[in-house]
Amino acid sequence: MKRRDFLKATAATGTLLFLPDLTRAKSSHIRFADPDLAALAQIALNTAKSLKATYADIRIARYRTQSINTREKRVTNVSDAENYGFGVRVLANGTWGFAGSQNVTKDEIAKVTKSAVAIAKANSKIQKEPVRLAPVGSVLATWNTPVRINPFNVSLNDKINMLLAINEEALKVKGVSFCTSGMSFVNESKFFASTEGSFIDQDLFRCNPSFTVTAVNREKGLFESRNSYSEPMGTGFEYVADYPWFDDVRLAAEDCLEKFSAKSVEPGKRDLLLHPSNLWLTIHESVGHPTELDRAMGMEANYAGTSFLTLDKLGTFKFGSDIVNFIGDKTQKDGLATCGYDDDGVPTKQGHIVKDGVFVDYQTTRDQAHVINRKESHGCSYSQSWADVPFQRMPNISLEPGKTPMTLNQLLANTEDAILVKGRGSYSIDHQRYNFQFGGQTFYEVKNGKIAGMLKDVAYQARTPDFWNSCDAICSKEEYWLGGSFNDGKGEPGQSNAVSHGCCPARFRQVNILNTARST
Amino acid sequence: MLSEKEAKQIIDTVVSLSKADDVDVAINGGTTSNLRFARNTPSTSGTASNTVVSVQSTFGKRTGTSTTNQLDKASLHDVVARAEELARLAPEDPEYMPPLGPQKYPSVKAYFEKTAKVGPEFLANGASECIKQASAKKLVAAGFIRTNAGFNAIGNSKGLFGYHTSTTIGFSETVRTADGGGSGWVSRAANKTEDINFRQLSKIAVDKAVASIEPMNLKPGKYVTILEHSCVADLLGSMAFSMNARNADEGRSFFSQKGGGNKLGETIFPEFVNLYSDPADPIAPGGRWSAGGLPNKKTEWIKNGTVANLFYTRYWAEKQGKEPVGFPSNIIMKGGKGSLDDLIRSTKQGILVTSFWYIRSVDPRTILLTGLTRDGVYWIENGKIAFPVNNFRWNDSPISMLKNIEAMSKEKRVPPRESGSSGFVIPALKLKEFNFSSQSEAV
Repeated sequence: MKRRDFLKATAATGTLLFLPDLTRAKSSHIRFADPDLAALAQIALNTAKSLKATYADIRIARYRTQSINTREKRVTNVSDAENYGFGVRVLANGTWGFAGSQNVTKDEIAKVTKSAVAIAKANSKIQKEPVRLAPVGSVLATWNTPVRINPFNVSLNDKINMLLAINEEALKVKGVSFCTSGMSFVNESKFFASTEGSFIDQDLFRCNPSFTVTAVNREKGLFESRNSYSEPMGTGFEYVADYPWFDDVRLAAEDCLEKFSAKSVEPGKRDLLLHPSNLWLTIHESVGHPTELDRAMGMEANYAGTSFLTLDKLGTFKFGSDIVNFIGDKTQKDGLATCGYDDDGVPTKQGHIVKDGVFVDYQTTRDQAHVINRKESHGCSYSQSWADVPFQRMPNISLEPGKTPMTLNQLLANTEDAILVKGRGSYSIDHQRYNFQFGGQTFYEVKNGKIAGMLKDVAYQARTPDFWNSCDAICSKEEYWLGGSFNDGKGEPGQSNAVSHGCCPARFRQVNILNTARST
Repeated sequence: MLSEKEAKQIIDTVVSLSKADDVDVAINGGTTSNLRFARNTPSTSGTASNTVVSVQSTFGKRTGTSTTNQLDKASLHDVVARAEELARLAPEDPEYMPPLGPQKYPSVKAYFEKTAKVGPEFLANGASECIKQASAKKLVAAGFIRTNAGFNAIGNSKGLFGYHTSTTIGFSETVRTADGGGSGWVSRAANKTEDINFRQLSKIAVDKAVASIEPMNLKPGKYVTILEHSCVADLLGSMAFSMNARNADEGRSFFSQKGGGNKLGETIFPEFVNLYSDPADPIAPGGRWSAGGLPNKKTEWIKNGTVANLFYTRYWAEKQGKEPVGFPSNIIMKGGKGSLDDLIRSTKQGILVTSFWYIRSVDPRTILLTGLTRDGVYWIENGKIAFPVNNFRWNDSPISMLKNIEAMSKEKRVPPRESGSSGFVIPALKLKEFNFSSQSEAV
């Protein structure tokens, strides 16, 4: 549904949506209290150099977030938050040190920089591998998410009315018991400067709208839910405005009721048709994480884990079938991880991670590129806030569309016996990214080229390379869909990264299907 | 870190700036320092201080919340104005509960000055101890040490005020063989640094790694299983944090009763199962208050196998004619008298699991979860660890775990690996069976 249709639909339910016609991604608040950020930054860089640090950077950053949550006819939360501060990272004696503070003043910056150097020097006594940074050019730049409607300039009433109208639409369907809905927005404003001579100002936006419909059958002691098929996006409010909320929520309500009488799946090997609303998360877990170089090196061994894609497999390992191609891309339109420069000050870019089924590259930062003999970083450094250390985080990683024209309907028509899975459900994968198990929101039996009814209690479980090598069909670009995770966790202390994954519907042969109602 | 007096001053300032009918203020802050190491060398390390003031303003039944980390008077003025602006725009909340007046909070000893004062050398020395032990056996250590000194303050326009300080230290380490063929893990949490002995703990991870080399191939299935403390904590947390009375009453929880109502008073587990929270627990002290300033107190969740409490918000409690019950401030399960070794000695054949990973809900109706074993799975034969076995994916539930208990060790404070929360004091459990659904070749 387009924005105009949404407006029509909201008017029909007695709500009014007003969207200001803003053309530039500028926040309504003052981004930084002190306009001379370069002068503040220079204090950190000079202090670090005077203490014999060989490299330093500073991020002065302000994060604005807004979240609104509702259930049925009630607003359960309206909140705004601002978090402002700076973090200084230094290399001294070949060792990293970091310190941060909420007080962005000249004296505090000098003091905190000294603390970062002291930490680096304390740890350098046990350092075995001096940090090596890949070269990067000096950059003077500004980069803004190209948003059409700044979400922080859309009135709260309009947002609340939209959410309550979604809930009302769900509750019109007899048998639906509950509907929760919410939207949250992030504006990440950060100024980066480094001893490489870079000064970079970025203004990034992300949004995350969703709902959940639940139906309860008290007599039988059963309940079923269905989440929206909406996705978090690296855009302004325009995604929220254009999304077909009423179509989705009516369908979700009907899906919940249909689940009560859906056939419970027979476990065993079956072909799978994965809708992009489901497949993006499988890409995230089974392609995104194992191709992180820090995991392959053992840097995440104590937490997120290592990777089955060990360094010896680079350039030769047959990750998937010949039609499988994955692109890492921090420049992708509307991507949650999209920005102009990473937190090492490296310009963002795109490149193949898997090409014609072969694993050809890792995600890297400046201090990792030399490990795989790359002359430059792939620009994958990110920190969730001024108070956290930047490290290697996932760029948007997407499955390239099939080269032969094929719609989902054509793929269905060409499939004899399979299960079609839609939506993000339960997800779990081991610490080297081999064994995964995924659920979904809705499941359909496909027989002789047609949908033959809804299934329930479905989970699919596979071994990553077996799964991607069983991929024998990928729809073409007209079916492309961008999904994503608003909060992908990694690192210690834990940090959150937002990242998108695009894909088209795809078919996988003979995957292990579990019946989750008979699993214990 | 703000003193009690400084925190009170900020709350008083916010209250004095407020034009709303009611204003609630929460302040959280502190300094956290950490060191990560991997490949037998430090990787990242840092320290950061932050204090966040959250203001909830209410006009009638309209509320809005705004948060800032800038503490000057102009910023406090702005945050109050923004909360009031949001409150005026928000619709009336039919479930709004007026703020509580002054409350009496339990006394909790969770702050230790020596721990608050440790510097980067303490972290580096801890990591050095771990790296030395691993290197001596040609193993590879990766780990994380984190200290925190923080405070929470709460206050409102009805005169309520509370202040709480705590220090914590968390430590975890994974030791792997150089070829990646074996792996062991250990983790502990405490409120004071003296309670973490890096040398002793690191030895556990080293020994587990050595004992895990060349695992045997064991088929998936249901086996007699000993879950170490961290595994039990992960599963218990999933159950305890779902004991929400409203969800149960609304029919969308395991704790819902068929036909209506909830499972309060129902005996589900063997009578030796006892689960409770106690903010004043000396081993894992909890917070002094729950949401809205409700005082935390000792709360039995499962008593002699029976559901003794669910947590009730103030609104839902009033609607249901109950007393409000706060969210669990910590999770304590009383165990048996023996040790983990005693559980192993009592087992003829079975599996010992060190930790769980990537646990996710599969079916909330039964609290069916899926997850994986990690960093140490062993076959027990005639009371001894016989050999290491491969990792597994499992599909099982904390409900069946508690129903299947055959024996319990003494309880101990160990954090669940998945959630990382520090407030768990729980036993290791020997189960009649646990459902390992497929093999994982990950090491």
